[in-house]
Amino acid sequence: MTTNGAARRVDQFTLENGLRLVTAPASTPQVAAVNLWYGVGSRFEVPGRTGFAHLFEHLMFQGSGNVAKGEHFDAVERLGGDINASTSTDRTNYYETVPEHALDLVLWLEADRMATLREGMTQEVLDNQRDVVKNERRQRYDNQPYGTALERILRLAYPEGHPYHHATIGSMADLDDADLDYVLDFHKRHYGPDNAVLTIVSNLDPQDVRERVERHFGAIPARPEAAEAPDAALAGLIGGPVAEHAVETVPAPGVFLGYRVAPYGERDFDVMHLASAVLGQGQGSRLYRRLVLERGLAADDGGAAADLLPFRYTPSLMLVNMIAREGVSGDELEAAMIEEIGTLAEGVSDEELERARAVLERDHMQSLSHPSGLADAIGSCTQLFGDPELAFTWPQRWSTVTAEDVVDLAKRLLVPENRLSVRFDPEPVGEPAA
Amino acid sequence: MLQTRPDLGAPTPYTFPKPRRLTVGGGTVVAIDVPGQAFAAVRLVHHAGGATEPHESMGVAALTNEALEDGVQGNSSLPPALERHGAEWVSRVTWDSFVTGVDAPVNRLRAATALLAEAVRTPALRDEDVLRRRDQILERFWLDASVPSTLATRAVGGQLFTGRYATPLSGAPEALKKVTPQAVRDFHASSIAAAAGTLVVVGDLTGVDLEELGSAVFGDAAAAPAPDRTPPEPAPGELPRVVVLDRPGSVQSALLMAHRAPSRPEVDLPRADGISDVLGGMFTSRLNLELRERLGYTYGAGCRFDLRRDSGVFLISTQVDTQTTAHSLTASLAETERLQREGVTEGELSAVRESNTVGLPVSYSTARSLAGALVEMVVHDLPEDHIDRLRAGFEALTADDLAEAARRYLRPEEMVTVIAGDAASLEGPLSEAGAGPVTVRDPETLWS
Repeated sequence: MTTNGAARRVDQFTLENGLRLVTAPASTPQVAAVNLWYGVGSRFEVPGRTGFAHLFEHLMFQGSGNVAKGEHFDAVERLGGDINASTSTDRTNYYETVPEHALDLVLWLEADRMATLREGMTQEVLDNQRDVVKNERRQRYDNQPYGTALERILRLAYPEGHPYHHATIGSMADLDDADLDYVLDFHKRHYGPDNAVLTIVSNLDPQDVRERVERHFGAIPARPEAAEAPDAALAGLIGGPVAEHAVETVPAPGVFLGYRVAPYGERDFDVMHLASAVLGQGQGSRLYRRLVLERGLAADDGGAAADLLPFRYTPSLMLVNMIAREGVSGDELEAAMIEEIGTLAEGVSDEELERARAVLERDHMQSLSHPSGLADAIGSCTQLFGDPELAFTWPQRWSTVTAEDVVDLAKRLLVPENRLSVRFDPEPVGEPAA
Repeated sequence: MLQTRPDLGAPTPYTFPKPRRLTVGGGTVVAIDVPGQAFAAVRLVHHAGGATEPHESMGVAALTNEALEDGVQGNSSLPPALERHGAEWVSRVTWDSFVTGVDAPVNRLRAATALLAEAVRTPALRDEDVLRRRDQILERFWLDASVPSTLATRAVGGQLFTGRYATPLSGAPEALKKVTPQAVRDFHASSIAAAAGTLVVVGDLTGVDLEELGSAVFGDAAAAPAPDRTPPEPAPGELPRVVVLDRPGSVQSALLMAHRAPSRPEVDLPRADGISDVLGGMFTSRLNLELRERLGYTYGAGCRFDLRRDSGVFLISTQVDTQTTAHSLTASLAETERLQREGVTEGELSAVRESNTVGLPVSYSTARSLAGALVEMVVHDLPEDHIDRLRAGFEALTADDLAEAARRYLRPEEMVTVIAGDAASLEGPLSEAGAGPVTVRDPETLWS
């Protein structure tokens, strides 16, 4: 079943080496969006080796057998294309959007680093990118107010040793310890065609695209053996309330609350996704109307206080975050947020649920409305669920969720036993940062 | 067996879609039909940007823009009404424009545009809503400024200009406190409600009645040309110079190097953008290759022109390790001066020419980006084949053109460097960097 005509035009093919290819049409002409999802993310990292999947993503741009350091960026930028990559807990993806005539070049670049990255890797390259990543960490985490919130949240949400206990960026000490042998071994274990989904959105004939892909990727052998995924099974609630309190250089108290919910892809995840939209997505959401407009306790975030952090292979998290207004204490804001979250268990109106559905559906449709977003959504659905058409039909999952479903699950999950809290408070005046 | 590197054939020539243009009452509708694009972008463009607002109410344009979200009933009533149609409010104030609009599924375009029309023409603008928004903006000013790069960016205007540009676009704390709800209503009545503006529509327009949309949005408002402006005077002070915004304990420095540039109408855009691309507009540009890929000092470094109707700014920006800050500054200056001295390589010339021509199908692969191009044409009175002319300009660029642009548009000797970082660690090394005298400021005193 589909909600979009384009879904009928998704074509799938698996090469003999295991590479899964999905093609779909683009809504504007002369463009090709390529998205290569590898089934490796920070969940594969072990203690002492955190930050490695992401550091590795950087190394993929540093040259391979037939491509020089930086040439990926150079080749794609001089075509006026977009190019980048990202790493999460569950996957690493590499993506390019280029003029249609350059599709073969992108396929060749991706195939070369999949097959021969190890030939281009040197200690010098590793040292340089380690410094770059450490500065990325400073820029995004250490030198940002509230920048370490996610690390603190994950520490509270998942037990020591669990693959989701640490953030993707990793620790400075572990980054320092990364060595060349481990880099080479990481590529061997994870970067094979049998561990990837290649999505191409363009107006080229799918058969033509398939032949090009076979030409570039067909000769790359599958990995001798698939890397074993760490056990991320986890049952039950967080065992809360648990809390971490940071007093540091922040402009105002900040409250981050988290609740364990179902893994991404399960129906209970969809129910809580709607719950988070009722609570904190859009200016019609409860937290915005009550705490920003009516009570004036929280800074105006435009209605972006709640969302889910989706994890496929372990319980996901619902996160709720607000910053206090002048004269409002962290305690007061936190209590008000918890109180508001608690009201979900008392009832949700059909009108609220309809608004929440419309907001989620809008965001989903917007992400499909451009070629690279469509390629990313298809890659995700294929890699995580084995079904590219889910990218088009996903909103249907929300259509059958009822207000009772939301209330029932809120009663079970949005409780103190399942709550974590990370609080930031400014240093008292007169005590500068160390 | 792996393939050898493929030779690219010639790209298919790209032509920017020709917009449909119709006059409806006092306004103009400009539209691009994108068959199959089910998510449309609608933008209403007024000329009433920050640069034209009265000096006694700096920030009134941005505050009014936000207050429109309170809708005809007040109390933030507009976004929830749009949310029910799967639509989203999109609005923005720049120095030169006041833009409102919606992104909406094409089958809900009429309803979403009707909400846009009433929000822009007949908003409630109640005292309590405007005051709530104003207080939130005031507090957010310092929340946002706690991010070092934002702090540095906001401080640049005051280092380069006197007059309106010396104060951030959204106003500054002390000045904004004086902007009353009545000032907002006055600004809205004279600059927004009474002026028809131009309506931009992009998406699958099958069955969309553009004239009806135009009538709904323009009503009986009159056409209003862009107001005349007087070019701003420079700020006093020795050039070059360095200003440190003290952020004790900062592990990184946000570094912004800026100088004045000609205005948008005065600039030869392919040459200026071309030289900016070579220095810092791309990943493979000189600044990023030097500071990130060779030295490992940063996650990224770049530069750009910020061009307005009556003036311009050139900006180099990066965030670096505290102890490499001074060297990052001198290295950036050295790269700029080398570019002026030696010009560009053949590889850089071809990268500039190709990326700004063959990449156009990528740039315009979304309704939003097509709408953005149309908005820019409206704001700067550009012809409808502007993108094609620009492409022709880039195709004709020579290495000499770019070398000349480096000498004409880049002015390292006039650079003001603003650094948000730990002054105690930075002051010594910076004073020996040869980028002019160093002064240290407490950020909290900048706008009081």
